[in-house]
Amino acid sequence: MKRIFRLVLFILFSFIAYNCSDNKCNESVDVELKAEIIVKDTILENANFIDSLSIYSPLWLDSVHYSSINYLLDLSPFSNTTTFIFTSQLWKDTVWILHERQLVYLSQECGFVNYYTIDSAWYTSNNIDSIEWVNKKLTTQNDGHLKIYF
Amino acid sequence: MAILRYTSSLILIIVFSFQLLAQTTEEKKEPWKLSGIKAGLDVGRFSNFLFKPEQRSYAGSIDIGFNNKRYFVGEFGYSEISLNRENYDYRSNGTFYKLGFDYNMLKKVPTDFLGAGLRIGYSLLEHSASSILFNSSHWGNYYLEQQAETNQTMWFEASFGIKGEVLKNIYLGWSTVLKVRLYGGKDDSFQPYDIPGYGNATKSIIIGANYFIYYQIPFNRN
Repeated sequence: MKRIFRLVLFILFSFIAYNCSDNKCNESVDVELKAEIIVKDTILENANFIDSLSIYSPLWLDSVHYSSINYLLDLSPFSNTTTFIFTSQLWKDTVWILHERQLVYLSQECGFVNYYTIDSAWYTSNNIDSIEWVNKKLTTQNDGHLKIYF
Repeated sequence: MAILRYTSSLILIIVFSFQLLAQTTEEKKEPWKLSGIKAGLDVGRFSNFLFKPEQRSYAGSIDIGFNNKRYFVGEFGYSEISLNRENYDYRSNGTFYKLGFDYNMLKKVPTDFLGAGLRIGYSLLEHSASSILFNSSHWGNYYLEQQAETNQTMWFEASFGIKGEVLKNIYLGWSTVLKVRLYGGKDDSFQPYDIPGYGNATKSIIIGANYFIYYQIPFNRN
């Protein structure tokens, strides 16, 4: 009895559990604001201004030009205000977004991301009619959503 | 309120468990007699050198046996993590303590152990992160730091295992452990990488295993 007991003990003791992990980040780490452009002004619509629409921030290294009605925008990682400039051939509008940042440890593999909570926004009205927040929380779920009406 | 509910339930479980043990004692009319003290070392943690090289953790235990049936058990340990990733460095250090008891169901081999145990565990850790690299095509590369934060966790453990005397006064022990977090450990923004004594901080229930070597202080042995 005692021998069997010890044998079982040794077999169990020799088993060492370990975690299987590929050490790769397998989830999205992008935290972006979906900006949906909605054109109500018929003059702008007829001018196909979306085709010439570009979006940039003064602190960005580049600009965005997709000829699209949906843009995914990165908010500032080091400031609580992000400025976006919407420019086309004949007009320019600026949108300032005030937000809070939360540094989040997503996982060991993926590291850290910034989550954002939008506080408020204001804008110039050269061509922008109004803005509407669908979701003011930005996480890796691509849930932040802003509608901009022209 | 949830903490109070969990804590009161746990206290009730422990109290009733002791009552059950006491009833058995009364039935047999066996007086409590100190049967031995074991000092243990968690050798399962040394597998970290292979599988989790970023972690150093050490744990020991003391159990005081009565009649080779009932054991009051205390466990304690220290854990240190130094994780260097491409996009961040993570540091953590903390301690844990567990208190509880084991009940031996063996009758024919009284010096060995086959039984169950209950523990209440507590952990306190401090962790921080630095050189957190954000790489953005729009904003460029930039670095942030996460200031040090402390984190407390309390959990409940139920275990089932065996201990066998392989050499005189030397025992090997193995047990499966079910851990249920009672409070703490969770942080929406800065989740600990690992909670000392508990494990993966993202899980509320953990099933694991312990591997111990024990030395029985040789006194009062038949």
